[in-house]
Amino acid sequence: MSASTAHRIDLTRRAARVTLVLAVCAIAGGYAAAFKPGGAPIWAPWLLAVGIPSALGGIMALGAARGSAGIGKLKFPFAFVFVVLTSGFCLALGLPANESIQSTLWLGLPARAAIVIYGIGLLPIVVLPVAYALTFDTQTLSQSDIDRVRELAALRLSASDEGEKGDHE
Amino acid sequence: MILANIEATAALLQTSLPHVKQPVVIGVGLAYFAVIIGISVWAARRTKTAADFFVAGHGIGLIALTVASVSTSVSGFAFIGGPGLIYTVGLGAMYIVLPASVTNVMGAWVLAKRMRLLGEARGLMTVPDAIGARYNSPASQGLAGIAMLVGIIGYMATNALAMGVVINAIFGVGIGWGIWIGMGITLAYSVAGGILAGIYNDVFQGTLMAVASVLVFVFVLKIGGGLGNISTSILSHDPKFLGAWGKMTPLAALSFFFVFGMGSLGQPQGVHKYYMLRDPMQLKWYPLLKTLGLILVLLLYFGVGVGVKAFVLNGTMAPLSAPDQATPSLLLSVTPLVLAALVFSGVAAATMSAANSFINIGAAVVMHDLPIAFGKRLKNELKWGRAVTVLMAIAAALIAQNSGTMVAFLGIFGWGLFASTLVPALAVGLNWDGATREGAMASIGTGLFVTLALETASYFKAFTFLSGVTASAVALVLSFLMFFLVSWLTRRDPDKAIDPDVRLIMEL
Repeated sequence: MSASTAHRIDLTRRAARVTLVLAVCAIAGGYAAAFKPGGAPIWAPWLLAVGIPSALGGIMALGAARGSAGIGKLKFPFAFVFVVLTSGFCLALGLPANESIQSTLWLGLPARAAIVIYGIGLLPIVVLPVAYALTFDTQTLSQSDIDRVRELAALRLSASDEGEKGDHE
Repeated sequence: MILANIEATAALLQTSLPHVKQPVVIGVGLAYFAVIIGISVWAARRTKTAADFFVAGHGIGLIALTVASVSTSVSGFAFIGGPGLIYTVGLGAMYIVLPASVTNVMGAWVLAKRMRLLGEARGLMTVPDAIGARYNSPASQGLAGIAMLVGIIGYMATNALAMGVVINAIFGVGIGWGIWIGMGITLAYSVAGGILAGIYNDVFQGTLMAVASVLVFVFVLKIGGGLGNISTSILSHDPKFLGAWGKMTPLAALSFFFVFGMGSLGQPQGVHKYYMLRDPMQLKWYPLLKTLGLILVLLLYFGVGVGVKAFVLNGTMAPLSAPDQATPSLLLSVTPLVLAALVFSGVAAATMSAANSFINIGAAVVMHDLPIAFGKRLKNELKWGRAVTVLMAIAAALIAQNSGTMVAFLGIFGWGLFASTLVPALAVGLNWDGATREGAMASIGTGLFVTLALETASYFKAFTFLSGVTASAVALVLSFLMFFLVSWLTRRDPDKAIDPDVRLIMEL
């Protein structure tokens, strides 16, 4: 592995980790603010609205990063899902709560409910599992990966057997 | 979702289901039990080793694993407690299930490959096994095992109680007998066929749940004249119900999303199944299939919750005596009886499926992880596994029967406890070589202590949470922060701290 490749992997994972830490801090800040006298300030849920998608995105990127590819093309579906979740939560928070009998229905639901159910609940399904399957062979696991793991496991087992024999002798 | 299952189970303590002991319902119930027994006898003949008993010999195919995983994830909550919760708080209750759009594929990227390869390289059987291997630390493995046992006791007892309630509703035998009949059947297949019987019974049960869910959803839409008409009925009487957060605060709804989204990475009944897949390459389609399966099963959750609200508001149905009556009342008043029978069998199926899974996981902790933590290894793990399974099931039934509302308390914090004790150490730890065993133990300890302390204080009314803040969420956040902080303070060279085979698996 070249130094630049190793550096890139490290950067991908480090960025994912930093994102996760900052997102957890933002969520913690949102909860801590709820303890203020007079209840949660208006900005507290906004911290969660941005923090939660960031935390989920960060941990997914941490898990998906591998070898010289980093997260490769997965940056597009990850970005898409981050945008969908964040904008979904922010729209739910920011749009006026004026649901009534006069509300226009979108696929049978008023606007904010439709954003929540179809946007947050269904849109990621169309993208993420498909992206996972399409990039599986290059990004996630190949037969040669499995062979490498099996080889190393066999070496470990034989070393452990030899150690035990040595102990008996 | 399991936490909510337990909350639903807790609610059953107060409400119980209506009696439906009619020939059709009893007939479907008996047919269901006959299939369970048949599958269990078949599985028992194939269970010969501890690996067969606890991880199905690493030999389950993709479809079976997917359906079984859906069945275990959803449990009875999707059928009873969930629709009741939507009926009460509106759309806010959807934030419990909305993370399913992300969690399955997140679990696949973060854990599935690495857990499955650890199983391949080390022959691992349990979730604490993975923690022990990652940190080269039997103590971490033992602490994770203890944390899991605390959560499992609650789950087991509440599922035993739920079985009693459902079996009593179908056969009218009384809740006490219902607990022992349900637990007896679950125990028979758990002891004889271990997780193999559990998996194939889950396949049957998951299929039953999906069929029942789709049929009920279609009926609701048909009776309500489509989702648009259902929404219009609700908007004309109770518009807040269909607001973005329902009748909850935004903070509370977002907390649901966080705990049930991130927390999914620490649920042993789901994570443990990654070990069982026969061919690791089949992971490719696992998230897609599981997500589609979950959507089918969750149609009832949304459809009944929203549909019953509309039907009550427009006078099609009488007002409910309690929110958990949403599904039973709908089934008994407007759908064919055979569909009611299918759903009631589905609920019984769900509770048994969850109980079996937790019995198996708990037995593995007692006879595998705890001895390893003390530097011992039992010689005949299969025999001990069966013995511990019997003891755990009897203990769960006794707790369910004798401890009153304490059962609900034990069960309520299960999901949050698993999340706060396992997510940082397992999910982040397997993907970050800078995590240390001290960080893992601090995180597991923090999750265990904070969850128990806050939930106990809350139960005894010594402390009341502010709106939207939950013990599970606070414990999860603190556990994460402790994990990063202590790992940073105790950082060392990963090449020396992590075994080469584990290191390779983490880098792939």
